[in-house]
Amino acid sequence: MQVEIKTYQNQEIQKQKKRKLDKKQLESWLLLFPTLMIFIFFFLFPLLSLFITSFKTFDPNSGIGDKWTLENYVKFLSDPFYLGVIWRTIKIGLLTTLLTVIISYPVAFHISRASGKVKNYLTLIVLSPLLISMVIRCYGWVILLSNNGVVNRTLINLGWIDKPLTLLYTELSVVIGMVHVLFPYMVLSIMGSLERIDPSIIRASQSLGAGLIRTFFSIILPLTLPGVFAGSVMVFSLSVSSFVTPAILGGPQVKVMSYLTYEQVAVILNWPYGSAIGFVLIFMATVTIIVYSRILARSEKGVAIQ
Amino acid sequence: MKKRLYNFIFHSFCFVVYVFLLAPIIVVLLSSLTTTEYIVFPPKGITLKWYIELVNHPEFTQSFVLSVIVALGTSLFSTFIGTLASIAIVRYQFKGKATIVQLVGSPLLIPSVVFGVALLQFYSWIGLATSPMALIIGHIILTVPFVVRLVVASLVGFDRSIEQAARSLGAGAFKVFFQITLPIIKSGVIAGAIFSFITSFDDLTVALFIVSTDVVTLPVRIFTYMQYQYDPIITSVSSIIILFTVVLMVIIEKVLGVGKVFMSKN
Repeated sequence: MQVEIKTYQNQEIQKQKKRKLDKKQLESWLLLFPTLMIFIFFFLFPLLSLFITSFKTFDPNSGIGDKWTLENYVKFLSDPFYLGVIWRTIKIGLLTTLLTVIISYPVAFHISRASGKVKNYLTLIVLSPLLISMVIRCYGWVILLSNNGVVNRTLINLGWIDKPLTLLYTELSVVIGMVHVLFPYMVLSIMGSLERIDPSIIRASQSLGAGLIRTFFSIILPLTLPGVFAGSVMVFSLSVSSFVTPAILGGPQVKVMSYLTYEQVAVILNWPYGSAIGFVLIFMATVTIIVYSRILARSEKGVAIQ
Repeated sequence: MKKRLYNFIFHSFCFVVYVFLLAPIIVVLLSSLTTTEYIVFPPKGITLKWYIELVNHPEFTQSFVLSVIVALGTSLFSTFIGTLASIAIVRYQFKGKATIVQLVGSPLLIPSVVFGVALLQFYSWIGLATSPMALIIGHIILTVPFVVRLVVASLVGFDRSIEQAARSLGAGAFKVFFQITLPIIKSGVIAGAIFSFITSFDDLTVALFIVSTDVVTLPVRIFTYMQYQYDPIITSVSSIIILFTVVLMVIIEKVLGVGKVFMSKN
């Protein structure tokens, strides 16, 4: 008899627990509901339909034909002109990443060693590009780099060149603009790993007789490489997918994948082809990030074992 | 001696980089003062005529107002739904959590050009005409990942015993949320709102696909104007935006003290 009562009580407790759990589940779905709805209807669904579009034929009247085809992907991945565009996109991404590392490392170092007010001002200078509209910053570069711009006139006045150099609407101007736009991401990433270094390690190295240069190359640099690496992946993937900078500073003369997507869809109205280029771009950006997180996971494991 | 030389090289290098960072912004500001009919730097003479000239270009003012409305709407909606989602992600256990976290973060991985094209195709299918709301929805997708990231970060280190104390003292769920939870995660929520505003106000890529002839945001207006004309009116418009941004930042800093909130947390 007693046993029966006990099991009955247990069942009641179980039921109450389950009810409480169900209520919690319901609450969590209610909290997520608005975000999920917007993401399903205005993000997932449009992207999936665009993916389907990329396997359709081109129809000059309506843009999207009825028949299925792989032609869009085959054309983009085999035509020498388009392969050139892919290569240019990657090249600009790599150059941007390299230059960003070179110029942001000393600055990150400088800021992390500054103190008080100076540090705040320097951080503000570095972050200011993020706050000011990207279109306006690129426009500033147009003024600086045009044939009659500041850079060319300074060089002519100095007597270094006779005729203005073509700087604008070249790969160089796109790289300059991208470095300017993406610089803050790299500095923040490197600063993060610089500030995690235990100052006593540096003191130890110096008291053991290592000079500034030696301490830097054998202690500080290796310890900040994860930050450099994380920043590089971010800068690379942002630069291959960015549109504003290549559109303003490169235009039709320097075609990269994002510009080509825009041109195919908005100017030529070849929707299927434009979407195929877009999905190759998504593939490239995603693979970079996945490879990066794999390597990061492995290196963290390595650290844990040590 | 050697150390001094290294120090000198190091500091001059950093100085050049700081100049590089500020150069395009300063050039835009100063060029807007030129008396010439074309853009030149350094400006020839000083005048405000390109600011007065804006009176004859009401389209820029209209676009500015539209951009502010869209950015405010985005910031409001995005912060609201993003905060709710963050609470669910941090405090509840439910099926498919990992998938949902990935879904909410994925707009950061998708190039905005592709998202813009996808949204345009979708809008034309369902017959949604270009409107501020259509722009706001697109910008919500772009900004929710930032809001969730920032609010989740401020919720993770949260001491829940304060909430439990309030509950046991008889406060209802809503009272607890507005009087205890919200003030503590305030810095994350405000940072999310500011970030959303800036991202939306700055967006050219997605807006370029969605705008129509009478609904044009400011970045799109500047972008299309630049393709046909090259006169200093663009520099005066841009300077006003730069000053607007700076003033906004100062007000936010003074009124809300975001910096202080961040500082006290450390």
